[in-house]
Amino acid sequence: MTIACTLTVNDEPRPVAIEPGDTLLDVLRDRLRLTGAKKGCDVGDCGACTVLLDGEPVNACLLLAATLEGRRITTIEGLARGGTLTGLQRAFVEEGAIQCGYCTPGMVLSAAALLARHPEATREQVKDALAGNLCRCTGYTAILRAVERCANARPDGTCARRSAEDGRPTPCQCPPRGDAPARPGLASVGHSVPRVDAADKVTGRALYTADLSLPDMVHAKVVLSPIAHGRIRRIDASRARALPGVLDVITGADVTENTYGVSPARYDEELLARAKVRHVGDPVAAVAAIDEKTAERAAALVEVEYEELPAVLDALEAVKPGAPLVHDRYERNVNTHVAHDFGDVDAAFAASHAVREEVFTGNFVYQCPMEPQAAIAHWDHDGTLVLHSATQAPHYVQYMMAHVFHVPLGKVRVIRPHVGGGFGVKAATNPLEVCAALLARRLGRPVRIVFSREDMFHYYRGRHKQHMRFKLGLDRGGRITAFSSEIHLDGGAYSSFGVATAYYAGSMIPTLYKIPNYRYNGYRVMTHKPACGAMRGHGVPQPRFAFECLLNMMADDLGIDPIEIRRRNAMTPHTRTVNDLDIGSCEFLATLDAVERDSAWREKYGRLPKGRGIGVASGGFVSGAGYCIYRGQVQMTHEKGPEKFQKKSIFPHANAVIRVTEDGMAAILMIGAAEIGQGSDTILSQIAAEAMGIPHTRLRMKSQDSDIAPLDLGSYSSRVTLMAGNAVAAAGAAVADKIRPYAAAMLGCAPPAVRFAHGRAFVEGGPPEGVAWEEAARRYFNEHGPLVGTGCYKPPEGLGGDFKGATVGTSPAYSFGTAACEVAVDLDTGKVRVQRFTDYHDCGTPINPQQVHGQVEGAIVMSASETILEDVQFDDKGRVLNPNLHGYLIMTIKDAPEIFSGIVESYEPRGPFGAKEIGEGATLPVLGAVAHAIANATGVWIKDLPITPEKILAALHGSPPAAPRHRSPTCLPTASKG
Amino acid sequence: MHLPDVTIHHPASLAEASATLRRLGPRARALAGGTDLVVDLKTRRVDADHLVSLARVPHLRGVERAPLGAPANGDLAGALRIGALTTIAQLDRSPELRGSLSALREATRDMAATQVRHTATVGGNIAGAVPCADLPPVLLVLGAWVEIASDSGTRTLPLVSFFTGPRQTLLAPGELLTAILVPPPPTRTGAAYARFSLREGNAIAVASVAAAVTVDDAGRIARASLALGAVAPVPRLVELPPGPERSDDDAIADAARRAVAASDPINDIRGSAEYRRELVRVLAGRAMRSALERAREARP
Repeated sequence: MTIACTLTVNDEPRPVAIEPGDTLLDVLRDRLRLTGAKKGCDVGDCGACTVLLDGEPVNACLLLAATLEGRRITTIEGLARGGTLTGLQRAFVEEGAIQCGYCTPGMVLSAAALLARHPEATREQVKDALAGNLCRCTGYTAILRAVERCANARPDGTCARRSAEDGRPTPCQCPPRGDAPARPGLASVGHSVPRVDAADKVTGRALYTADLSLPDMVHAKVVLSPIAHGRIRRIDASRARALPGVLDVITGADVTENTYGVSPARYDEELLARAKVRHVGDPVAAVAAIDEKTAERAAALVEVEYEELPAVLDALEAVKPGAPLVHDRYERNVNTHVAHDFGDVDAAFAASHAVREEVFTGNFVYQCPMEPQAAIAHWDHDGTLVLHSATQAPHYVQYMMAHVFHVPLGKVRVIRPHVGGGFGVKAATNPLEVCAALLARRLGRPVRIVFSREDMFHYYRGRHKQHMRFKLGLDRGGRITAFSSEIHLDGGAYSSFGVATAYYAGSMIPTLYKIPNYRYNGYRVMTHKPACGAMRGHGVPQPRFAFECLLNMMADDLGIDPIEIRRRNAMTPHTRTVNDLDIGSCEFLATLDAVERDSAWREKYGRLPKGRGIGVASGGFVSGAGYCIYRGQVQMTHEKGPEKFQKKSIFPHANAVIRVTEDGMAAILMIGAAEIGQGSDTILSQIAAEAMGIPHTRLRMKSQDSDIAPLDLGSYSSRVTLMAGNAVAAAGAAVADKIRPYAAAMLGCAPPAVRFAHGRAFVEGGPPEGVAWEEAARRYFNEHGPLVGTGCYKPPEGLGGDFKGATVGTSPAYSFGTAACEVAVDLDTGKVRVQRFTDYHDCGTPINPQQVHGQVEGAIVMSASETILEDVQFDDKGRVLNPNLHGYLIMTIKDAPEIFSGIVESYEPRGPFGAKEIGEGATLPVLGAVAHAIANATGVWIKDLPITPEKILAALHGSPPAAPRHRSPTCLPTASKG
Repeated sequence: MHLPDVTIHHPASLAEASATLRRLGPRARALAGGTDLVVDLKTRRVDADHLVSLARVPHLRGVERAPLGAPANGDLAGALRIGALTTIAQLDRSPELRGSLSALREATRDMAATQVRHTATVGGNIAGAVPCADLPPVLLVLGAWVEIASDSGTRTLPLVSFFTGPRQTLLAPGELLTAILVPPPPTRTGAAYARFSLREGNAIAVASVAAAVTVDDAGRIARASLALGAVAPVPRLVELPPGPERSDDDAIADAARRAVAASDPINDIRGSAEYRRELVRVLAGRAMRSALERAREARP
C-alpha cells in the first residue's frame, strides 16, 4: 500500500510516495536520490546513515519515514549550501579526516550537531558524540583533530583552549606529527596536500556502487546455504517465481561447470553450488526482481532441500585421517603445504644458549570495510560486459569475468566507482559480480546486487585463523641462531588467496631480523566455514604477533631489553635474507631508536605500576608483490597453454597515460590503480605533477574505468605507491620530454637545460620567472596534436630464489616499523584500555606525509582492535554467531588510543621519488606491541587472540579460561534501547 | 533489509491507541522510538502487520516532578514522572536528575550511541524487557513504579513486578506503559550504576549492577539494595537485609556475594556464565562502594 507523504528535507518540502514500512534511509536514497546517507549495516550499529532530525543526529535506517511528517530532516547534501564547505567540512578535508569517505557524511553530521549544541566541546564530548559512527580507515585520529580544531577555533585564528603554561590564547593548530623534512626542490611530492576526492566525499557527492542507478535497472539477491555441508537434493523456485515483481531465478542448474577463484591452480569456487554446499553462506541461487525488497522476499521463498553431511569446522580436526573432506581433491583437507628449510636448524638449536617453544593461536578477523560489496552488471549490444563493482582489484575481476564467461578481456569493462574501504575483502572476484553478470545477460537489463552486512560475514574472505607452534633459539648475546615454525591455517571452504597466505605466513618472518637458520612448515587446511582470504598484512600479522611475543619473552628470559634485542638482530640495508629475499633500503634501526626515545621507553619499561604496561614490537611488509597472481600474458585463460614459470614479469604491472588538455592547463592521468580510500588518486596525481613540473591541482584522475585507464593490477600487497607511482612518474617525464624542445626554444637554450616546476619552465641564468609550461604544451599540440605521455612499471627481473614458493614475499622494496604501546588493564575485570601508541616507520620518502600518518593511524586502531576485540565466532553447526556490528565489535572513537606517528628519513632507489609502502606494514608491529603491553601490565602472557578480558582474568586467577562451552546461538540485539 | 508490509496507525489519544492495539491483537505492535522494533522487523525476529505509532499520543513525553498533592498511591507522593516517550537523550539532559537520581545518568550516558539515544525511548527500554537494558537496574534500586494505561483505565505497580521473562512483561493486550514514577529517595541516599561492556562506545552491557544505599545520621548503612542487569532472564532486585554492625569492606563483600548468588547468567558470545558471575561480584562491589560514598556525602 503506497501512501503519500511530505517530508521536509534540507528545508524543502519533498512530497514522496512511500510504503508505510519504508525507512527514512531507503526513502532518502531510493526515492529522493539523496545518497549521501550510506547504508553500512541497516540496523543502527555503524552510523553511516546518520542524518539530523530537528537538529539531532539519528540513524535513518531505524526511522520509518511515514512517522516523520512535520519533522526537519537534514542530510549531508543540505550542509554545504551553494557549494561552499562549512568550516567543519573544511577541517575534515584539510586535516586528512577522510579516507574511503563512507563514514564521512554521518561523521560530519554527528559532529555538526555536537558543535551546534556545544561550540567549544571538550575532547570527551567529541568522542561521546562520535562513538556511534564507525570508521575503519582513519583510526579516528584525524577526525578528532578536525572536530577539535573547529571546537577550539576562534574567529581571530587563535585557539579557545588556552596554553597550559600561561593561560594565554595560542595559535589554533593541531599537535604535530613526526615528519621527516620534505626533500628540497620538490613542489608536490613530500607535501601534505589534501586528498583530491575529499571535497566530494565530505559533501556526499562521491558516488559508491550502491549509490548508482542505471536506467531500467533491476535488483538481485543471492540465496545462501543455511547448512555447513550437504548435498543439494532439490531446489524449488516456483514460489519465488510466483511472487509478483520477480523476474528471474537462477540455480546451479543454470550455470556452467566453470569454476573460478584466485590462484589459477585452485579455481575451486562454483558460480552457484551445483551439487554440494560447503559452508553456511555458500551461494545456491540468485533472484532478480523489480526492487530490492521483492528480491529479498523472493530469495526467502526459494526452497532448497539438502541432505546434510558431516561437517568439519576445526583446522586441527580436519587434517586427521577420516575427517570429512571439503573438496575431494585436497587430501586430508590440506590444500597447500609449504615445507621450507634453510640452513641447519636442528644443529643451530642444539648449539643455542637458549631455546623456547610456544604455541600461539590467531583469530578470525573480518576486514569490515564500512561499504558493503556491491555490483551492477549489464551487457552492451556488442556483447561487452560492463561491470560496476566495489572492488580493489578491477583487473583481476576483469580477468576472472573473461574466464567465467569465455569472452576476451577486451569485452569486459570494469568500472570502479568510489570504494568504501577494502583491506583485502574486495580483492577477489565475488558472487555478486558473477551473479549480477549472469542475471543481466539473461534479462538484458542492468542488475544490481548489494551485500547486506550479514551477507558480508557469510562471504567472509577475512583473516585465516592460524595455529602456530614457534621455536626460537638465541645465543648468549640474544642473537637469533635458528627459528622454526609450524602453522596450520584454517582456510574455510575455498582456496581464495589461501595459497599465497600460507606462503606469506612463513616467508616474511626473515625480512625483519637476521635469521641464519630457518624452517617453516605450513598447512593451509580446508574446513566447512566461509573461505578465508587476504586481509591487510596478508598472512603475516598473526605469525608476526607470535614471533614478536616469543622474542619479547626470551628477551626477558635473558635479561636483555626488548628494544636492544631487536637492535642486535635488526635487518640492515642491502641484505639477502636466508630465504633469498633482497632487502634494499632499510632504516629499521632508526625506527627502534626513535620509538625508544619518543615513547620514554627507558623510563617506563618495567617501571610502571601494576595494571599499567608498555610493550614493543616491530614489523614490515613488501612494497608490492614481485609477481602477478596469474602466469603468462593478459589473455583469456582458456586460450593459454600450460604456462612455464619465468622469473620475470611478462607484462608491466602498472601502466599510466597522461593526456594534457589542448590549452596546456590541465592534465588527465589515466591509470587503473584502484582508489579504495587509501589515497592512491591523490599521491599519484602528486607524482605526475612533480614529474611534469606543474601544480598537482592541474591533474584530474581517471582511474575508475578500464575502458579509459590502462591496466594496473590493483590495490593489494601494498603495491600502488611504488609500482603505479613509478609508471606515473615515467608518464609524467615523457610529457615533460615532449614539450622540452618548445620550452627550450622559448627560453633560448638547449633542451636538456630546461627545468620544469610550478607550471613554469626555467633555465639557469634565464629569466627568473621562466616561461609558461602551458605555452610550451600548446606549441607541442599545434604541431603534433595530442600531448600524451605514457609510462609503465615492471618489477625487477630475477626476484627470489629457485625453491618452490620462492616468489611469495619477493618485492622491489620492503618497509620497516616499530611501535610501542601503552595500556591500562583493570585487574578485577581484565578489561584493557589501549592508551597510547608511539610508532615510527620507514616507508621510504613519503609522497604525502599526511596520507602516511592516516595509514599508520588507521592500521594501529584496526590492528589494536583485532588484538583485543575481534573474532568471528561459529557455533557447532558452522553458523556465524556474530554476523553484524553489534556482535562483532570494532573499535569506536572512544576505544582508539592516542597515536604519535613518525616517519624516519629513508630513500628507496627503486621507489618513485624514494617512496615505498605504508598501508600494510603499519599493521604488523601492532598486535605484538599490544600483547606485550598487556603482559607487562598484568604479568601474564595471553597467546591466544583476541586477548579478551575473560582470558586475562582467567590467567590472572591462574585457571585456564572456561573449557569449550556451548555458546548461545542467539545474538542479543543491538540494545538496551527502546 | 526491509520491513514486512505493514500498516501504520497514528492514534491521537491514548484511548484510541489502546483500542487499536486491542482490536488488532498480536499482529500489531506499539511503535515508540523503534530502535529495537524496526531492527526486529527487518531481521524477522518479530513479525507484525500493524504498527501503532505513539508519536501523536499526548502527555507521554517529559520529565517532571508530580504535584505533592494526594496521589492515590502514597508511596508516589512527589515522585518524578518520566513519560514513556521521553527519549534517552531527553532524560539524560533533564535537570531533574540530581541527587541520588543522577545515577540514572550513569545508565543513559553509556547506553548505545548518540543517534540511538536521540530516538530510543525510556518506555521502550523498559517495556522491551531485554535482559541487558540499562535503565531497569537503576530504576529498580530507586524503587520505581510503572504507570500502565489502557482505554479502560490506569494502574500503577512496582517496576520489580513488571518483568516476567526475557522480552516479556505484565502488559496485557491493549495496555501501554505510559510513565515511570520514581518516588523521592529517602534523605542520605546514594545510588550508582556500574556496567561492563566489551567496548568503550556503543556496546551493550555484559553485566551491570545498580546500587542504592541509605545511611543513618551516623553514616551507617540503614538500607541498601542492588539490581542486576544482563545476568538473569529479567533485571533482578536484591534487597540487602540490615546486617550487624561491620566494616564497609565486609558489608560490600557481603553485598557482592549476595549479588552473585542472585545472578543466573547465560553463556553467549560476549562471555561465559562464569565470567559474568565474576563481573557481578566486581561491579556489585564498585556500585555499592560508590553509592555508599554518595550517601554519606548527600546533604540531608
